[in-house]
Amino acid sequence: MNPQPKAASYQIHCRMTPEAAALERLCQVARVRGFRITRMAMEQVGNSLDIALTLEGTRPIGMLQSQLEKLQTVVGVTLADQEQPLAANQEYRVTAS
Amino acid sequence: MNGAQHILEAFHRHHIDTVFGYPGGCIMPLYDALVDDAVVEHVLCRHEQACALAADGYARASGKTGVCIATSGPGATNLITGVANAHRDSVPMVVITGQVPSALIGTDAFQETDMLGMALGIVKHSYLVEQADELPGILEQAFHLASEGRPGPVWIDIPKDILLAEVIARPAVQEVETGNEDVDVSKVMAMLKASQRPLLYSGGGISLAHAEEAFRAFTETSGLPGVTTLKGLGNAGKRAPNDLGMLGMHGSRAANRAVAECDLLLVIGARLDDRATGKLEAFAPNARTIHIDADAAEFNKLRPADLTLKGDLTTILRALTGEVETSPLAISHWQQTCGQWHTTGGFHAADNDDPYAPIHGPAFIRQLSRIAPDDTVIACDVGQHQMWVAQYYDFDHPRHHLTSGGLGTMGFGLPAAIGAQFADRDSMVINVTGDGSFMMNAQELATIRRYQLPVKIIILDNQCLGMVRQQQELFYNNRESQIDLDDNPDFLTMAKAFGIHALHINRSDQVRRGIETLLAYRGPMLLHVAIAREENVWPIVKPGAGNTDMIDETHRPRRNKEHVA
Repeated sequence: MNPQPKAASYQIHCRMTPEAAALERLCQVARVRGFRITRMAMEQVGNSLDIALTLEGTRPIGMLQSQLEKLQTVVGVTLADQEQPLAANQEYRVTAS
Repeated sequence: MNGAQHILEAFHRHHIDTVFGYPGGCIMPLYDALVDDAVVEHVLCRHEQACALAADGYARASGKTGVCIATSGPGATNLITGVANAHRDSVPMVVITGQVPSALIGTDAFQETDMLGMALGIVKHSYLVEQADELPGILEQAFHLASEGRPGPVWIDIPKDILLAEVIARPAVQEVETGNEDVDVSKVMAMLKASQRPLLYSGGGISLAHAEEAFRAFTETSGLPGVTTLKGLGNAGKRAPNDLGMLGMHGSRAANRAVAECDLLLVIGARLDDRATGKLEAFAPNARTIHIDADAAEFNKLRPADLTLKGDLTTILRALTGEVETSPLAISHWQQTCGQWHTTGGFHAADNDDPYAPIHGPAFIRQLSRIAPDDTVIACDVGQHQMWVAQYYDFDHPRHHLTSGGLGTMGFGLPAAIGAQFADRDSMVINVTGDGSFMMNAQELATIRRYQLPVKIIILDNQCLGMVRQQQELFYNNRESQIDLDDNPDFLTMAKAFGIHALHINRSDQVRRGIETLLAYRGPMLLHVAIAREENVWPIVKPGAGNTDMIDETHRPRRNKEHVA
């Protein structure tokens, strides 16, 4: 069996227009592209949804970022610059952003 | 004007004169409005899946946006496979479904399904119309989104009360990008000039971007040897001297060898999918990569690129053509090498000299390619026949080859052929199918009859699921499982039940006459072609292996079945 690649943790901030199913789209793309959401906070600010996500995954986060940016309801995606590789069996704890 | 009439107005504004649909409870206001409409022809298919696939075929053949319509609940869920098919192959489509009245949403009402939620993963975008005044703007956005940039399906789910409501709002006109921006191709040219063995790798993005002419000008001017994906077949035209054909799992030895040996891969309008690349680590191991596409999300998705360029493909290709015109590439030795590989490692199906020999699938397709007019549209299904078409039919234009590339949808071919025939009522459209695929949407024979479409149907019948059988033979120790279709109906009788003329052939000496009879017939016709059950598609790369590890008939295992389920 091939060794499992190490999962890394990422924080991204996403601004979306508050259309129906906006959050579902975001979560679905994250899941399909190989990431697990470990923390999520959302706030409506004016006519936008501001969403902070902590994600865990083994694939390059840039791939997810470019897929999220394709969503019609996404205004912008920014990636926090910290990247924390996790040991294969390390319990991951969500830290407050 | 009510919501339903606004939909028709949007069709008129976007020059949609043909739509494919099936009525039902919640979409009835739109069907009521259609009664008074003199512009839009509604094509009644016999299953909603076929509506979506016909709209897909219409869009692929015409380059226009396909439209399909269904009611809520099962009507909408039946569309899903067809919409997913369009999504995977980036086909421009607008999907309109009725929904239960707004007040009933969320009450488990009769024929209520959450289509917005259900379709999220198979659309470019989707809407649930919540306010009647939003409808005109949403329609405008949907038609714009479906065709701009990388095309795809856009789904509008409309509650019945909104279809009936008076709508006063007018749509905001979308800004259309001209695509005439300047583009800097100097870095691309620098890498091309530095390369000894550059190879062009093109895909379905060329025709999606309507960049066929610009692509041909570039290939002719540059002289670059090229390989294509399944969806890119025809990009270079059938007489392009440097075209090596399809690469990948069922690609030619020449194409896969050129990829293995090149030192620069110029990828245009392709997404490096697994059927084309095989094992990524072994794909183009000596090459730097330039990736040009309309969708930046494809860059570095599977293979890191040394240079990426996002933009309108026509603009980029024209700029590149201008550069190679003034500064030609010195690649004559590489061209000759690729040409030799193409001569010895291309697809060559020999005609069988024995008139009583069984019909050989590849040889049949080669004959069809020789006899059919250059502008014939071939709508394939999925399986061995699909790969034989890709290997042995010379396409002169990518819009002549309709194939379910990304999703691999059995049952695509017949409704896609219907869509293509509506795109051009005078064109020659042939559905090449297998006995498995044909039965998946055979009800559409009724649509062909109803509209008297001159669609031709060729069933290559091996009485089994050939591609599955082949993989069971090669990769599952010849343990056949659930692939027998030897209880197929009599396809000739079946065709005749729908008023469609049919002919059966089973010997090599009947092939030419059979094809000529089919092509000469003035109405719809079915040609039933019996082929051997044991025929395989060669070569084949085992899933997960590198493309240089191609298996051909010489590697065929001993043919004793261990188990037949």
